[in-house]
This record gives sequence, C-alpha cells and structure tokens, in this order.
Amino acid sequence: MNAPLKTSTALTDVTLVEAADMVARGETTSVALTAAAIEAFKSKDAKVNALIWMDEQNALETAEALDRMRKAGRITGPLHGVPLAHKDMYYQAGKPCTCGSAIRKDFRPAYTATVIDRLHGAGSITLGGLNMAEFAQNPSGHNRHFGHCHNPWSLDYCTGGSSSGSGAAVAARFIYGALGSDTGGSIRLPASICGVTGIKGTQTRVSRYGVMPLSFSADNVGPLARTARDCARILSVIAGADPMDPTAATEPVPDYESLLDGDVRGLRIGVPTNYFFDNVDPEVGAAFEAAMAVLQARGAEIVPVTIPHMDAVVAYGSIVSRCEGATIHAQWMRERPDDYAVHLNARLYGSYSIPAVYYVEALARRGAILKAVASDVFGACDVFATPTLRYKVPTLLETDIDAGTEGAIEKFNAISINTRPINYLGLPSVSVPCGFDSNGVPIGFQIQGRPFAEGRVLKVAEAYQRDTDWHARKPAV
Amino acid sequence: MKRDLIELAEATADIWSAVRPPNAAAIEMTRGLGPVITGFEALRGQLAFEDEPSSFEAALLATKE
Repeated sequence: MNAPLKTSTALTDVTLVEAADMVARGETTSVALTAAAIEAFKSKDAKVNALIWMDEQNALETAEALDRMRKAGRITGPLHGVPLAHKDMYYQAGKPCTCGSAIRKDFRPAYTATVIDRLHGAGSITLGGLNMAEFAQNPSGHNRHFGHCHNPWSLDYCTGGSSSGSGAAVAARFIYGALGSDTGGSIRLPASICGVTGIKGTQTRVSRYGVMPLSFSADNVGPLARTARDCARILSVIAGADPMDPTAATEPVPDYESLLDGDVRGLRIGVPTNYFFDNVDPEVGAAFEAAMAVLQARGAEIVPVTIPHMDAVVAYGSIVSRCEGATIHAQWMRERPDDYAVHLNARLYGSYSIPAVYYVEALARRGAILKAVASDVFGACDVFATPTLRYKVPTLLETDIDAGTEGAIEKFNAISINTRPINYLGLPSVSVPCGFDSNGVPIGFQIQGRPFAEGRVLKVAEAYQRDTDWHARKPAV
Repeated sequence: MKRDLIELAEATADIWSAVRPPNAAAIEMTRGLGPVITGFEALRGQLAFEDEPSSFEAALLATKE
C-alpha cells in the first residue's frame, strides 16, 4: 500500500459535495480524504464518542483503488472517493453491525443493505459504524453499552437520537456524511441538535433491505450531512425501487441536486397555528421566526395553517412504532431483558399491554388522516415549517432515565414531540440549522412537503442556506 | 370504578407475551400509557367501518406532489 498523501485539517472542513468534486477534478485524492477522516476520528473522537468501529485498512485500500480508477479517467459516480460512516445498523456482509446493543455486539450479517450497495456503487467508501441509541430506540443519544455520544458543541448536552453518532461525527467534521434512520425523528433530531442537515424521505422512498428494523410502518433511511446539497446528492443515490424490498416505492427519483436553484419566489410556507408551538421555548421561537424572515426576504410567502386531526396524529403516532418495536423484541424481552438499557426495556415493556384493536385503529386511520392533511394544509401552502425541537436541548444527565434522574422521563419524551407526528403522516421532512441557544447548542427547524416532494423541501432548505451560515459553523472539539 | 392500569398491564404482558416488568422504570413508563388511553377515548367513533390499514401507501400516492 502506498503511504497516504499529506492531510490537513482543512480537508475535513470541506462539504461532501466539495470533497467529491475535488476528487473528480483531481484536486485531492480519495486516499487523502480517507486518511483525513481517519485522523479526525483518532485525534478528536475520545470526547465525542461518535464511533463504534472503524475499518481503516479496507477504507484506505478502497480509496487507493478509486484513485487508480480516477487516474485512468473513470469516475464511478457522484460520490467517487468520498469516505462515509453510518449509524451502526446497516448490514454489510461480514462486517460488524452492533445496532448499538449488547445483544448484537458480535453480529456480523451475511448480506449487505441495498443502500450501502448503492452508496458503494456511487463511489463512496464506508469507513465504519457510528454510535447510536440502542436498537435506534431513544431520542437523546444515550448508550449504556458503547458510552453516551456527546454533543460536539457542548459535551454535557445530548446529541439527539437515535442517529447520535451520525449527527455528532458530521458536526465535528470527522466525516463528510452519514446515514441515519428516522422512525420518530431519529435523523432530524440529531441533525438539529448537532447543527447539521438531515432528511427523512417520504415513507417508502428509500429501501430498507438489510437495515435493522424498528417499526415496519415508520422506519426511514436517510442522510445527515453538512448541507442540503450534500443531502440531496446522497438521497439521489439511495432512493428508489428495490426488488429486495417490496415496500420501497416505485416512484421515479429525480436528481434532487439539480432542483436546488435558490428560487423560492412565490412559494407558500405554512406555519402551523396549532400544536407545534405549544409552550415553545422563546429562544427556539425567535430562531424560527428569524429563519422564516430569511425565506420571506427571498420571496417566499409565510401563511398560517391549521394541521387537522392533530389529536389523532399524536395518539395514533404514539403507539404504532411502540407496538411494532415490542413485537420485534419480544423474544429477547422474555429471555434476556437485563441486556437492554433500563430506558429501553422499560419503554418496550409497557407496549405489551397495548390492545391490538388500538394498533389496528392507528394504522387504519392513517391514510384518511394523511388525505385530510394534504387537502387542508397543502391546499393552503406548498410546504410547512416548524421547530424541530420545541424546547432547548437538555443535558445528558437531565434525560438519564437509567441513572434515575428525577423528571428524566418527561424531558426524554419531550424531545420528539414535534418530529414524531411527521412520521405518522409519512411526509418528507428536512431539518436545517437556524441558530444557537443560550447554552451554545444548535437550534433547527424542519420543513415538510407533500409525499414525494423531497426535491421541494430540499430546495427550500438549500435556499435558506444560501443566505445563512449556521450550517457552516464548526464546533471547537 | 376503573381497575388499576398497572395491575392490568402486568397481567396482559404476562399472560399474552410472557414478558415481566424488568425494573421500576418499566412500571413508571407504563403509567405513561394513561394519557394514551385518554387520547384514544377522545377519538372513539371516528374510525369508519370500511377503513383498512392497507390504505396508507395508496394515500401517499394519491396525495403526492
């Protein structure tokens, strides 16, 4: 193997799209990018704890092969030579896949997830597996088995979960982008809390073959990266029909990046008058209003909207993933409940007493409620926006149920109250950084569109990032 | 008078799934189902006789951009 080229901190500061374009133009090499990412994890992750495992040798060998291809005039795809790392729940044949758990700490799947195959086919390199909530089942980023993930902006604070390592590693400039998963906010929460961009597509937009299941009805795969443009590039690669996953939508996938023209003139952005701002923290509310003003200055129109059936969305949305998750974990809950963290086995436990008729009712009304929302809301606006979190980000201690912190359950549950309803509705949603609270922790807002309007929500997010620099700021890790 | 939620939940989880409360936090979080029940009570009568779970994927396509 050749020695890696000289790397520099500046190389980890470029965005995913910039990194890919630099490789394509011959301005840097994949080996240099990969070595820079490895060095960043090695030198700075001890405090953040974003990484579970890393395969340096395989990553560098793959990078060398990709560099040889480029020198021969061949670019495999839009991510050629870019190292990525993913939430440790994506199957790769023969590689670790802990799911953030003790139960699967030695699991090595026999096959590879479709999304990983697609990312590799587009030229990316998988460097390793990132920290996550155990079995993707908490919104805070706690992990008893691999250590809690810490917010790179302020280490005592939550990263958000469940894609905790994905948010933290991208924010800390360890890696150019990462897959997360989102069942109740698990991409958007760490994106918002760590100050990066993250999108969950329409339910069914991305294949889930080879992805650890949590909830059949609400699981989504999606990227976290520095910018909306980065996310668009990754989403264009991973979205689309998959013969290995019959639940994946067959709707055509546009080149999302080509839609990012910054033009939001005349676009109607709905701001809900109900639910999403109840008792909103004033600092969060002010950052959101400022974000709307930026988009308004670009020519968008801000309109008030009422989201119908919110009581039903909240009630139904609160049990679907719980019941499905409890079903998946039933055997382990019978045989080895103490191998789960307390906050997880405690949450799973209650779900075994929820009547099946409630679960079926929640699923049966989902389509009708979505149609009502589409008619009432998207009749009045093109997208609607809300804060991603309604409150300021709590500390790890304040939300530590396992440590017995008083009030932890309430603070823990409050983290996802603005994201979970979007999963029940199945809408595409992107979270974008829009400021910092008085504790120095990022604030984000989320933009929702009609089903399969990923291009539109990304377009609004990218337009916002043309006029702001929240996404470009870097924590002092 | 309503029967105790925790007592019923423990019996249901045990009888139907053979799952027992792993710790005190499990009981505490099960208590949190109270508002969920209240939420469902408020929605009674809204499910149509013909509604079926398979309608959701169709609704995604019917309401797409």
